[in-house]
Amino acid sequence: MKKILLRIMIVALLLGTAYATSPIKIDAFSSRDIARGATGDDVIELQARLQYAGFYNGKIDGKFGYGTYWALRNFQDKYGLPIDGIAGSQTKKKLTSASKYDQKFVMDNLKKGNQFTHYGGTPLSAQVKKGGGGRENMNLPSKYSQQDLNLMANAVYGEARGEPYEGQVAVAAVILNRVEHPDFPDTISGVIFQPLAFTAVADGQIWLTPNERAKEAVLDALNGWDPSENSIYYFNPITATSKWIWSRPQVKKIGLHIFCH
Amino acid sequence: MTMKKMIFVLAYALVVVSVFAFTKTTENNKLAILLSNQYAQQMADASDKMEELDTAVKQTLLFNQSEGSKKAREDIWRLSSDIKRSVASLPLDTAFSTSWINYLGRIGNYAKVADASSEPGEYHKVMSQASKNLGAMHDDWRLATAGLINGRYSMDEWNNKLNASNPDINWSNLSTSIKQYTEADFPLTASESDAMKKKELKNIDEAKVTQAEAVERFKTLFPQVSNDVVGVDRSKPGSPYPFYHIRFTDGESIGYIDITEKGGHVLSYLAERPYGKTSVPFEELKKFGEEFLKAAGYKDLVYEEARENNTAWHFVFVREEPFYGAKVFSDVIHLKLAKDTGDVLGLNAMEYIQKEKLHRQSIKKMNWKEFFHRDVQIVENELAYVENERKEQRLAHYLKVTRDENGHIGTYNVLVDTETSEVIKTEKLD
Repeated sequence: MKKILLRIMIVALLLGTAYATSPIKIDAFSSRDIARGATGDDVIELQARLQYAGFYNGKIDGKFGYGTYWALRNFQDKYGLPIDGIAGSQTKKKLTSASKYDQKFVMDNLKKGNQFTHYGGTPLSAQVKKGGGGRENMNLPSKYSQQDLNLMANAVYGEARGEPYEGQVAVAAVILNRVEHPDFPDTISGVIFQPLAFTAVADGQIWLTPNERAKEAVLDALNGWDPSENSIYYFNPITATSKWIWSRPQVKKIGLHIFCH
Repeated sequence: MTMKKMIFVLAYALVVVSVFAFTKTTENNKLAILLSNQYAQQMADASDKMEELDTAVKQTLLFNQSEGSKKAREDIWRLSSDIKRSVASLPLDTAFSTSWINYLGRIGNYAKVADASSEPGEYHKVMSQASKNLGAMHDDWRLATAGLINGRYSMDEWNNKLNASNPDINWSNLSTSIKQYTEADFPLTASESDAMKKKELKNIDEAKVTQAEAVERFKTLFPQVSNDVVGVDRSKPGSPYPFYHIRFTDGESIGYIDITEKGGHVLSYLAERPYGKTSVPFEELKKFGEEFLKAAGYKDLVYEEARENNTAWHFVFVREEPFYGAKVFSDVIHLKLAKDTGDVLGLNAMEYIQKEKLHRQSIKKMNWKEFFHRDVQIVENELAYVENERKEQRLAHYLKVTRDENGHIGTYNVLVDTETSEVIKTEKLD
């Protein structure tokens, strides 16, 4: 009898320990810790909940930047949580109990590109303004904007959509190399729209809608990759008509393009 | 009867087509005139501003003390930037416009940094010469742009002249003379030359590696994708630093790696492949990245930041200088890690290969309460080496500060020279 009782107690103790040390189940968010630099649906939920609880008054855009970071730290401070600016399981649990999240409202407005807020205590319908909003798709180095990415993706798609991925990154890198080079305009739009600089601008192909691959290639270039090896020109030897371009020192060939200095 | 009908229909169609063609041609002509007027106006504006620039240069020469010429130097910077923008947006010969843009950039920068970088005597010498040359260059500019400004050529005629094999303007001579003026007036400073050399990796002083050794280096670093090397090319003769360009395909992965011939250093690596849904947590990815870098021989790096995107995280690691424990932002490595498996999809080490030459520097005690406005909070304070406007590596206080901006917390990086207290850079963080 004593042995059975002892066994029951051990099993109960083990179960209790397992329960106490198991990860906290939260009825929202994904299971990952959310930290600065993250993007995605759980960042949207984090921002919406922080806003509901009155800690965040920035844009709900799915990008975990400094605005979200300070708001989260303030929330952790107020609720006696470890202040690290990371939404771990404990913070998420507290946030879930201290706020509400109307996922449909938030996602619908993001999809429609509306400007909206998600404050608690005010009817949500009164917190929407049409247009001017939307979700940030890419997380860029701070010196570049979404507009830079879009314009470059248009140029890359117009100029090099049939090229290998490396070639597309290289075309994007050439644009950035020109921005840094003393012989060219010092803005991305200035470089792209410089007369006679890019064929895709001259023939209007720059206004084709770029695909995800072109955007990804631009993103890699904005993050520092340069398969062109510091080139500032490129040309297609089959179609090039300028004699001058052949006089440039050539660096490498990628797909159909020769990259040069 | 049928014949008559046919003639009527054809005649009617001919009239419609003629009216359409006439309207279209008129419309095109109007657009061409509008465009050439706009270009003519921009060229004339640039021409006027060149005169203003020359005046501003002359005005700075009136004073000995740099404070006296401050306003005129600011005008030089502003006007040169304006003209640069105009030149960049005009349909001109590429070599001619790039030479002008370069000259304007240099004269503007020289005026901007004159306080810190040159003696008053030196400034006078350089700008007197520049003023003389600006006059000659302005004459060349007027000559080159006359055809469009005075309406002698339509847009089509102007473009044809630009592309002609024997143009009536000798663009090549004009751009060569601007280049000569640039080299004479504003030669590259020692630090600028260093910066360019670094970028071009010309002066790597290490033994050459063979093609087979370069491929071996690739296989050691990326064994998971190196089973099928599709091709290895040596860089073309015009490359300032020779390298091997290795292309590979392995299963669904396709990509490249560039490895320098001297020393066998990785310049960059990038792989493209379809992505799965499973997601590796950030902390694990960071650990993978750090372990990969150590195994690859990059042992003096510290984590700086990371950004998540659809399929991958982009990581930034910077070198840590051992004496001050300062981050060296010019010696940087980027990593791209797949979210689904944690594979290294990209490595960019171009800027890390030639480490910056750093100098010890005194660290002046700062009173930050006096330095910043009272509503600014310093949240992080460390040391970093960073390049200033004169392309010199300077030790700086690397501060992260916040400020309440109408209920929103604005966050900024501020870099302050430890010796001169000069604010080298201020950057708003999103």
